[in-house]
Amino acid sequence: MATKMFKARVFRYNPDTDDAPHFEEFDVAYEPGMTVLDTLLYIQDKYDSSLAFRWECRGGQCGSCAVKVNGTARIACRAKVDPDDGPLVLEPLEKMPVIKDLVTDMSRVKERVRRIRPYVVRDKPAPRPEIVHAEEIETLREIRKCIECYACLSNCPALRETWDYAGPMIIRQIARLELDPRDVEDRIAIALDESVYACTTCKMCEDICPKSIKIPALAVELLRAKAVEAGYPLAEGQQGFIDQINKTGRSVPEKDTPLLRSLESEEFLVDNPRGRVAFFTGCLIDYRMQGTGRSLIEVLNRNGIDVIVPKQQWCCASPAFRTGDLKTAHDAARRVTKIFEDVADKYGLDTVVVACAGCGKTLREDHRPFIAEERGEPPRFKVYDLAEYLIDVIGKENIVPPKGELDLEVTYHEPCHLGRGQGVVDQPIELLKMIPGVKYIDDPYKNRCCGAGGGVRAGRRDLSMKIATTRKEQILATGADMVATECPFCTIQIGDMMKGLDVKVRYLPDLLAESYRKGDEET
Amino acid sequence: MSQLPYKTILCDVLVVGAGGAGCRAAIEAAKHNLDVVIISKELLGKAHTSMAEGGYNVSLGNVDPLDDVETHFKDTVVGGAYLNNQELVEILVTDAAERIFDLEEVGAVFDRTPEGKIAQRPFGKQSWRRTAYASDRTGSEIMVTLTEAIRKSSVRVFDEVFATKILVHDGRAAGVCAVDLKYGDYLVFRAKAVVMATGGAGRIFKVTSNAQLDVGDGYAMAYEAGAALIDMEMIQFHPTGMVRPESARGRLVTEAVRGEGGILLNNRGERFMARYYPQVMELAGRDQVARSIMTEVLEGRGSPDGGVYLSIAHLPRSVIEFRLESMIEQFADAGVDIRNEPMQVSPTAHHFMGGILIDTDAQSTIPGLFAAGECTGGVHGGNRLGGNALADTQVFGALAGKNAAEFAKEHGLPPVDRDEIRDEFVRLEAMLLRESGISPADAREELTTLMWNDVQIFRNEEGLSRAVKELRRIEKEVVPNIKVDIQVKRFNPGWHQAIEFGHMVITARMVAEAALMRKGSRGAHFRTDADPNDDGLYNIVIRKGDDGEMVLEKRDLVITKIPPP
Repeated sequence: MATKMFKARVFRYNPDTDDAPHFEEFDVAYEPGMTVLDTLLYIQDKYDSSLAFRWECRGGQCGSCAVKVNGTARIACRAKVDPDDGPLVLEPLEKMPVIKDLVTDMSRVKERVRRIRPYVVRDKPAPRPEIVHAEEIETLREIRKCIECYACLSNCPALRETWDYAGPMIIRQIARLELDPRDVEDRIAIALDESVYACTTCKMCEDICPKSIKIPALAVELLRAKAVEAGYPLAEGQQGFIDQINKTGRSVPEKDTPLLRSLESEEFLVDNPRGRVAFFTGCLIDYRMQGTGRSLIEVLNRNGIDVIVPKQQWCCASPAFRTGDLKTAHDAARRVTKIFEDVADKYGLDTVVVACAGCGKTLREDHRPFIAEERGEPPRFKVYDLAEYLIDVIGKENIVPPKGELDLEVTYHEPCHLGRGQGVVDQPIELLKMIPGVKYIDDPYKNRCCGAGGGVRAGRRDLSMKIATTRKEQILATGADMVATECPFCTIQIGDMMKGLDVKVRYLPDLLAESYRKGDEET
Repeated sequence: MSQLPYKTILCDVLVVGAGGAGCRAAIEAAKHNLDVVIISKELLGKAHTSMAEGGYNVSLGNVDPLDDVETHFKDTVVGGAYLNNQELVEILVTDAAERIFDLEEVGAVFDRTPEGKIAQRPFGKQSWRRTAYASDRTGSEIMVTLTEAIRKSSVRVFDEVFATKILVHDGRAAGVCAVDLKYGDYLVFRAKAVVMATGGAGRIFKVTSNAQLDVGDGYAMAYEAGAALIDMEMIQFHPTGMVRPESARGRLVTEAVRGEGGILLNNRGERFMARYYPQVMELAGRDQVARSIMTEVLEGRGSPDGGVYLSIAHLPRSVIEFRLESMIEQFADAGVDIRNEPMQVSPTAHHFMGGILIDTDAQSTIPGLFAAGECTGGVHGGNRLGGNALADTQVFGALAGKNAAEFAKEHGLPPVDRDEIRDEFVRLEAMLLRESGISPADAREELTTLMWNDVQIFRNEEGLSRAVKELRRIEKEVVPNIKVDIQVKRFNPGWHQAIEFGHMVITARMVAEAALMRKGSRGAHFRTDADPNDDGLYNIVIRKGDDGEMVLEKRDLVITKIPPP
């Protein structure tokens, strides 16, 4: 059998001799199971022994070999090569000055680590032996696995804009020490000083972490919750959301007539239904995007699904979970669970559909484990994002095809809390491709954060706008007429950035409904 | 050639190597109000210690209260086939407890017993459950902790600096010559005392569990400086290395898998250890398990890829997921779910029992030159018990650091010989300037294949003689003709490998020459043509003779408590 070859484009730069960096392309023989590190070693062996990159253990234990692989930083020894996926592009980590080729200068990070007092601080000698119980170190043990590969620092959207933020790896170390019963330092003050509120909870760090450490949940949100518990105030914008939730059950003030109040009924039933779901609207669809809510009901109805829209709903309290106000967060979790369990009982259903990425993530990743732990049983309903429900539950082959042609070049922005938060990656794109006339343009950076989440838009508007600007440029680079997404926060954030430009921002249910309606007119 | 430019860095105590032993030595030395410098080939925290998985032996008796230092001593000496320096073993077993508490004091998080003490698991050839652990990433836990401790200390860290030569003046260690790997500058570090903590040399074998940096730099530098080395023929082949995919071949599968109850099976589904060591089965000594596996493979009872099967499918999933989490990850990358499917394993070059000869002060035969960790010899004798290496790094690291500090306080800064420095940098520069020659990659391939074929688990006169002859040829003909293909000094891995190659050849020669000299089987050294008249109860000491030739001599064992039977 002939050896399969693939191309690797490798960043080359020797500042002593080169005016500027350039890429060099190599032909590499593929072997099943091949990693990026194997590829680099192959190139070093066959073509150029001076190709500079770091590696030591080849087994994901030392954290030396992180590089950017097709735009995203990962450790090379555990990143598998796909020879059919176009050229493999390898670049040095971002935010670190290049020494040569893929080798970068880590000295700034090392200084940053040092300044948080990154060790157990004690005020008296340790007893020998020291009694520490397993339960005291359970969470600590999870976030202790970090091997300092620096990949998360390269991928972090907040750190990309400012070194004011210490970045995921270092915030994790602060949490590791906060969780250590032996450490006496005031880690909350250090976390605040290191801008723990700069994190958008986009989960990029968790996604690429070779040890799968849940940094946003186990470090960032933990430290924020402890800060709130210690009496540190939230930013004004963030506290505004919390107050609003506690007062009204909605995170934003009312403007136009809310969706729930304007709906004629709570039941949207069809003849011969093939399914029945409850619709969790979330605050923004109820109060700001009423049309999107109606589109969602319409799309489901057109596909033979009964939709129940409880008139009394409550905020999922995502802003409270993200910023650390656990009292508000947990009250909301109990309340939302009760509302939807009652609806499930009353209408004989077990499925809740959401169209808001933030709400869906919160219901699944925050409410569910909290309720399960508090009462020993998780909520008695499943949660689906609309696109996920259409493709995975109804089934692509069973979806009533939208007929109206929309002559558009559309790209997709993947909401962090949909893709990494709920594992819904391909379904929205599949739906886009089902709309006649739509030409889908892939954005290699589609899963990058827009800067709206994690309380950053509310609390750190300047930083949020910088992240959004970076994202805007990536979207513009696709040349698409329209960017579709599946989250009200992303829609608003990107909409703000696109003001005065020709690129439209649309919510996926609206786009689908538009095609259905146009199809009706045409026939 | 004229003088090449270099920069000199002064300090009181210089530590070469930043793994478990080096970091521990530097931290200890820094407690003495001295200027301590640590240099490291890799970034701080990335040393091979981070790859140690199973644990740290210490007779705390937290799980088995009857355990004590005497039993740990006995297990270590019996496990080492009585070749251990018993004075050093005494230190190891006595200090292991305080040193693990030191680690906890600076932040280490070991797994716990129900009472909140450090948990301990069974490991091969130990009378009691003695091996302290943090899941199956104990080495990583220790490395992370030491990195944190270094960041707290006043130690000056020069990482990605490669020491190439120990400077000796008037018979005393005076510093090292080195290359800054990042920018290619030549550096001289001068110190009142030097600690070598350069780790092992698994990379001289084609199949190894070791990180790429483990090429024997310390053995070669110490030899060239005139220090004595001991037990270099004693190489531990870890019985369980990964077999496939090819790029993962040799990667360590921790002994904790067997410690937690994993069983070894051949291609007939037989638990074959019953044939060789029915009393202890999979927890026989590493040398014994490795030979048993190789026998199965050589006699046609191996797996299709040339290994045997290691199965834990009968263990509770919770045990696997809590105590063997790295293994799950490591095999998932190879497409194997170890909770359901057996692992394929075969032996892999793992640990050097031998190394720089040290006394009970951790000082080598060169005054002012101390050493600790895998680069030393004597502690583990003919075979090292799993879990004794991490303890070794902490016990002897601290001891070397303390004694180096005391030596530095009592002595001034020795002068250096500038001609010697010039010659060293000219030697390194020549590899770049040579018009024609042999590429480091080709040279390395030849060396590692030779060692794997002729100096592996089963050894005999014919193979060893061939290896020695070939290595002498390589030393004379290949080493002086190594040529780097691209003439760049700034972070040039081709150059780094060229420099390392010289160290690999010297190390390999010591291993092969000593193995040829030892005619009987003893410990990890197994001869298929063993001379029954050689009881093997001696150590082999190697040094560079006055004429520049390698001198080997047999030496009496150091026995304090347990004479060989």
